[in-house]
Amino acid sequence: MHHSVSCLSYTWSFSRSSDGPTEPRMRNPSLIKEEFLKRWIIALRRCTSLKKNMNILERNKVVKLSADLAMASARNGTTSWSRALIANATRDNDNRILAEQILGPESEILVKRVSTMPFKTCNRRKIRSKRILKRSCSSAIRRVRKTVPRKVLANCIAKRLIQKRTHILKSLVPGGEFMDETTLMEETLDYIAYLRVQVDVMRSCTYC
Amino acid sequence: MEPNLGTIVRSISIGPNREETGLESLQFREEIHRLMTVPPENGSSFTELLQLPETQAMELLHSAHSDEVVPVPLSGEPLHGINDDHKSYLPSFNGNLTFPSNKVLIERAAKFSVFASGEHSPETSSVPSDSSANLEKVKSEPAETDSNPNSSQLLVSDPAVNIKNQRSEKRKEREKKGKGCTKKSKIEISQDAEKLPYVHVRARRGQATDSHSLAERARREKINARMKLLQELVPGCSKTFAMQISGTALVLDEIINHVQSLQRQVELLSMRLATVNPRVDFNLDSLFAPESGSLADSNFHSMVSPLLWPEIPFNGNRQQHQQQWNFDALHRPLWGREEDNHTFITMENSLLNYESANSASLHSNQLKMEL
Repeated sequence: MHHSVSCLSYTWSFSRSSDGPTEPRMRNPSLIKEEFLKRWIIALRRCTSLKKNMNILERNKVVKLSADLAMASARNGTTSWSRALIANATRDNDNRILAEQILGPESEILVKRVSTMPFKTCNRRKIRSKRILKRSCSSAIRRVRKTVPRKVLANCIAKRLIQKRTHILKSLVPGGEFMDETTLMEETLDYIAYLRVQVDVMRSCTYC
Repeated sequence: MEPNLGTIVRSISIGPNREETGLESLQFREEIHRLMTVPPENGSSFTELLQLPETQAMELLHSAHSDEVVPVPLSGEPLHGINDDHKSYLPSFNGNLTFPSNKVLIERAAKFSVFASGEHSPETSSVPSDSSANLEKVKSEPAETDSNPNSSQLLVSDPAVNIKNQRSEKRKEREKKGKGCTKKSKIEISQDAEKLPYVHVRARRGQATDSHSLAERARREKINARMKLLQELVPGCSKTFAMQISGTALVLDEIINHVQSLQRQVELLSMRLATVNPRVDFNLDSLFAPESGSLADSNFHSMVSPLLWPEIPFNGNRQQHQQQWNFDALHRPLWGREEDNHTFITMENSLLNYESANSASLHSNQLKMEL
């Protein structure tokens, strides 16, 4: 637990001091927890003020959504995954009203900032270029398998493993499909820290 | 040409072995013409290649950011394939026929390229410079594609460039060993002596891309630094070397497992919370008021414990809160201050009506002020 806390503080200080965004960030994980808990409670209360007596699924959804939005608003749009979370939350119309209520008065600013980020601009181009690449590379691939030295083969297997895993990681981190590798690493760091905070807070909530 | 080559050769020999020599796409065709009698690769030469193709893969991942991952495995294939292709075809020089896919890509890159010059006959010179410019552009704007034509052109030209890069990378490796700047080069020095005239050719490519290689190295080091951070953050991951490819793959695997497990935990806990609390309302914002920055975990736990009074009606809530708070005040001198308790209780009375979101925001404002 303390190891994780120290790691959290270390990573946050390191990544922010090197070349991260210029906004000041909290270096203390307990501060992060406090902030998260506060925002989360506020968000939950806003939700329940909207609608009482929800069934369990709705509560589950509300809990998760409010937690997500709480942390994302704590980041205030500085990290990509937070923007992605807010964008996802506000995309479906049924969630949108709820999300905006949760975010509260500053929601319009956040949503505006989120939507102005060049987020999902290249889907169609990706698909088209993928097809082009497939066509062009397939002919090259067919000629390949003559003399494949084992080390190069192992190397390429390892490369493909890395690519596969990077792909999986991109699907895990919200908003991760559109990042390059460097920002993906940063976002993963931040996202892991957020997940840890969330788990700790929720665990202490349930077990007390 | 000679002094340039001399400088380039020096710079290459100085740099570490696992350089991204980047985008040596400039005189690729010339090289094919000249390297008709390339000796077959030895086993020891691939230890160098292990480094560079990895960086090429990373570069692919980086440069293909606008079209993220699906073409990357595809380009992984042709990278590998065209290497062998190149080796097998070189002795029988079919330079023009060898890489039709590459030519197709080059032509496409030339077509799509904003920077493409008018003539396409000096394709080798124009397109590689275009693609190197493109890749430079990619590096300068790593996270954004500023316009769609740029993204498409980058997309198409990058695999072409990278394919060429890899092939030239391998030859560059041989050349490096010929210069004796690598650790394992002692055997190949004699063999590479005959390649010395080719050294100049390749060296010239290295010169034009030196800034690129520096940027590549910087990016690569950034990625590795962050991988190391992630390694420390994810438990049970500290022993693998992040520098090798296999190390990187393992670290990535650990990271993925960790993220997945954390997400699953969050799901579980939120379900539990949803079941435990028939009313999802917590009335302990006043919890935050006395907290200083240094919050130990035990304190946090005990502070959160008053959170859970969901089933108790408000009046009973208040009473028990008072008791709980006094109790906690006794036990934890950090924030146990009597006057604060009183203020909490008074605040709580105002906090206890949940009818309007406005009141909630008001309370939050009060809390913030108090903080």
